[in-house]
Amino acid sequence: MRQPGAYSGLLSGGISGKTGPHLLPLARIKKIMKKSNDDVKMISGEAPIVFSKACELFIEELTKRSWNMTMQAKRRTLHKEDVASAVVATDIFDFLVPIVSGDSDEAADGSEKKEEI
Amino acid sequence: MADGPGSPAGGSHESGGDQSPRSNVREQDRFLPIANISRIMKKALPANGKIAKDAKDTVQECVSEFISFITSEASDKCQKEKRKTINGDDLLWAMATLGFEDYIDPLKAYLARYREGDTKGSARAGEGSAKKDPVGSQYGHQGSYTEGMGAFVNSQV
Repeated sequence: MRQPGAYSGLLSGGISGKTGPHLLPLARIKKIMKKSNDDVKMISGEAPIVFSKACELFIEELTKRSWNMTMQAKRRTLHKEDVASAVVATDIFDFLVPIVSGDSDEAADGSEKKEEI
Repeated sequence: MADGPGSPAGGSHESGGDQSPRSNVREQDRFLPIANISRIMKKALPANGKIAKDAKDTVQECVSEFISFITSEASDKCQKEKRKTINGDDLLWAMATLGFEDYIDPLKAYLARYREGDTKGSARAGEGSAKKDPVGSQYGHQGSYTEGMGAFVNSQV
């Protein structure tokens, strides 16, 4: 039922030749990797490919855990607060707490933090 | 109700200009495209599930943080070992170290498919989709992904 979306997305990735069968743009992943740390100088060709799949797994897991929170609240729409609850409830997502806690300004600060790491 | 706190966050994200002066980095350099993220999120939900924009924006930020978190750990390892290039195995190691060991097997399978298919041109996508199901079925979305791969092959022919 959601086929057209996935379908067209993959097609555009394929035609542009940037992502091929990957769901996420490799060049963008590489940029984010380089920005994460000044010591990151060289990145193997495989690394963004690993991340294209890893990010997919990560988004799925975060979304499913968030959706559980949505269900517990007897809603049908997943909101930011559900993502925040899922992050707080999941140990391996501890590093995301600064991003999901507080208002959007703090969230922006959280994402800037990575430049200081 | 959630539109209240959600809208400002969404606004600053979409415009990008709000954050550029502060972080000196364009939005397109900081985040993966929201459309791709939204698509992956939708696949993880039941058909009747909806996603608010503020949730998409938050996940978008979280993904960038995830990439940075893993990359930093892998980068530290490379520095200690006096290597200059971060490779796929460094990332797998970093993920296992940081608690994402569940991702390792699917990632290894994905990488193996990529490696063996790398020189085979369009056969790679077909082969990939054939082998995708055993690994991917547990994630519940491979149906559409596989079909997409088929479309990708067709478009290349």
